[in-house]
Amino acid sequence: MTTRILLADDHAVLRAGLHLLLENQPGLEVVGEASSGLEALDLALKLSPDLILLDLSMPGLGGLDALPALRKSVPSARVLILTMHDDPQYLRQALKQGASGYVLKKAADQELLSAVRAVLRGDVYIQPSMTRVLLDDMLMDTPVAVGDTWETLSEREQTVLKLVVLGYTGAEIGEQLNLSIKTVDTYRMRGLEKLGLSSRAALVRFALKKGLISAE
Amino acid sequence: MTKSYGENLLARIWIVIGAVSVRVKIMGIVIIGTLMLSVTLALQMRASVTRLMNQQLESRGISITRDLAARATDEILVNDFYDLRQLLVETQANNPDVIYAFVLDPNGNILAHTFGEGFPVGLASANWVEPTQHHHTLLFDSGQGLVWDIAVPIFNGRVGTARIGLSEAAIAKNIFILTSQVLLTTIFVLVIGLIAAAFLVYLVSRPITELVAATRAVAQGDFTPRVRRWADDEIGELADAFNAMTSELARSDEIRREREVLRRQLLEGVIAAQEDERRRISRELHDSTAQNLTSLMVGLKNMDTICDNAQVRVQAQDLRAITGQVLEDVHNIAFQLRPTVLDDLGLPAAIERLVHEWQKRCQISVDSVVHLGGKRLPENVETALYRIIQEALTNVSRHAHARSVSVLVERRTNEVVAVVEDNGKGLDPADLAVDRLGVAGMRERAELLSGKMTIESAPGSGTSLFIQIPIPYTEGENA
Repeated sequence: MTTRILLADDHAVLRAGLHLLLENQPGLEVVGEASSGLEALDLALKLSPDLILLDLSMPGLGGLDALPALRKSVPSARVLILTMHDDPQYLRQALKQGASGYVLKKAADQELLSAVRAVLRGDVYIQPSMTRVLLDDMLMDTPVAVGDTWETLSEREQTVLKLVVLGYTGAEIGEQLNLSIKTVDTYRMRGLEKLGLSSRAALVRFALKKGLISAE
Repeated sequence: MTKSYGENLLARIWIVIGAVSVRVKIMGIVIIGTLMLSVTLALQMRASVTRLMNQQLESRGISITRDLAARATDEILVNDFYDLRQLLVETQANNPDVIYAFVLDPNGNILAHTFGEGFPVGLASANWVEPTQHHHTLLFDSGQGLVWDIAVPIFNGRVGTARIGLSEAAIAKNIFILTSQVLLTTIFVLVIGLIAAAFLVYLVSRPITELVAATRAVAQGDFTPRVRRWADDEIGELADAFNAMTSELARSDEIRREREVLRRQLLEGVIAAQEDERRRISRELHDSTAQNLTSLMVGLKNMDTICDNAQVRVQAQDLRAITGQVLEDVHNIAFQLRPTVLDDLGLPAAIERLVHEWQKRCQISVDSVVHLGGKRLPENVETALYRIIQEALTNVSRHAHARSVSVLVERRTNEVVAVVEDNGKGLDPADLAVDRLGVAGMRERAELLSGKMTIESAPGSGTSLFIQIPIPYTEGENA
């Protein structure tokens, strides 16, 4: 039984190359080629392929926008993203919208076939150079043992840290609280130390989690 | 040494005089002038009046004594000492200045005197006149003021000597009264002089005070104040000159402002054009060149798979490797120019990508939080913040020797705040000089959007860069 593949990419020459590359593999058959998100949606409904190779940036309806519709209308088709974009945000969004794999075009010659096979097996394939992003996300989401350390801070330390979180400069904080910059710095350092945080960004993240500032 | 001490003293006096207000100076001149004049006058007048009155006193005393001597001759010759004494008493009564009178015989024995009880010891021999002399005067201090003692021989000294004492007390009293009057007049004149001086000070200081206030305003950048020309004197001229200067300043300030506005517009245009150009080239590289290269790569891969000729296959593999490298380069160039993600997904994704790349390249850990509430910022704000953060990170990698960096972008109600903070060695003025243009560029970018940039740094405790850019409050944005 052959696997039916739909190619969606606006670049005709590349499509042709990919067509050839995939058809050269036993058991793979390219059943359709689309040059836009809308066309891909159309063809997917018509052909109900096993695998859709989807480019993210296409004129009109892009891959990222077409993805939810594709997943909804043809749930049986697995989607493998093949894209130029190595931005973490694209990867996250694609996975969130239900993509089964993410391969960069610059690695198309080497990794595409392994990716296709992995996705067809039911696995998820992510460009190895980008998996780090997901690991970082996971680690960052791990709740730090915050406990009630915030309450152990003195009132002044809390006030200073809140203003630091809001992005005020040391001078501005000093002016608001009638303290010297040096004193503000001391409060800030001591507060961060008590919370076990090392940087302003970490503090902001802590504050967002703790609800000290609104997450809007 | 002495000279330098003198100069020192002079300098010190000058400092003291210089430090007091004009009011005090003018008042001081009036007071010192009036006092010196009146004191000199009083002293001189006292001296000449005293001299004149003393001369008069002496000559009057001489004539009284001579008269006494003439009238006493008969009495002495007939030995009528009672009448002689009457004569003395009468002389004293008629001349208040006369405090005593007495008559001596040629041997110096007292014939008659006006002293009630005892005759003062030594008085008789104190003054002596030769028989041939007209008279002889002696001035002595009686213990109750100066006394002129005048001796006149009676009948050429053959009968005796007439003596009287004239007191200066009356003169002294007169002179005291005179001096008091002068001093009173002085005080009166001084009061009038001070009133006049106060008026003068008011006249002089009023325009000066006004000028000072106006100058301060001009220093603050307010070119509207004009001063009144109070009088046609030098100060009036100064007021005119000041007004002329202020209007000239206002004019050049306006020109400067216009130029600044023009410069800003030009800069804005240049920056916008530059970003557009970068966006276009980046997009082109990303969408066309990179796609073509990918096609080439895939084609070579196909060639490698299909072809049986080993030589061709090796060649194809080599070309594929090269193509891969070129693709990577093109990709990097496109990213450096302007990441497409900034336009496609917005600032958070672009910052994340930037931080990711920078971290990999510099081996410095970056913690970034971009918290914009899921809404896109205006495009020019996004671009500006991206470029500023990019520049800030470049500076950190160049100079800071930091181990970690925080990048923070937060949206507040009507502004967006970005902070780039490192834990490096702190700002070095030398580095700042090298990156002067970079820092100026960041500040300029922020200011073009009515924002501001602040740098805080302390040696050894890192550098923090703060950017605040106002953003329009969008309706329906109830957090």
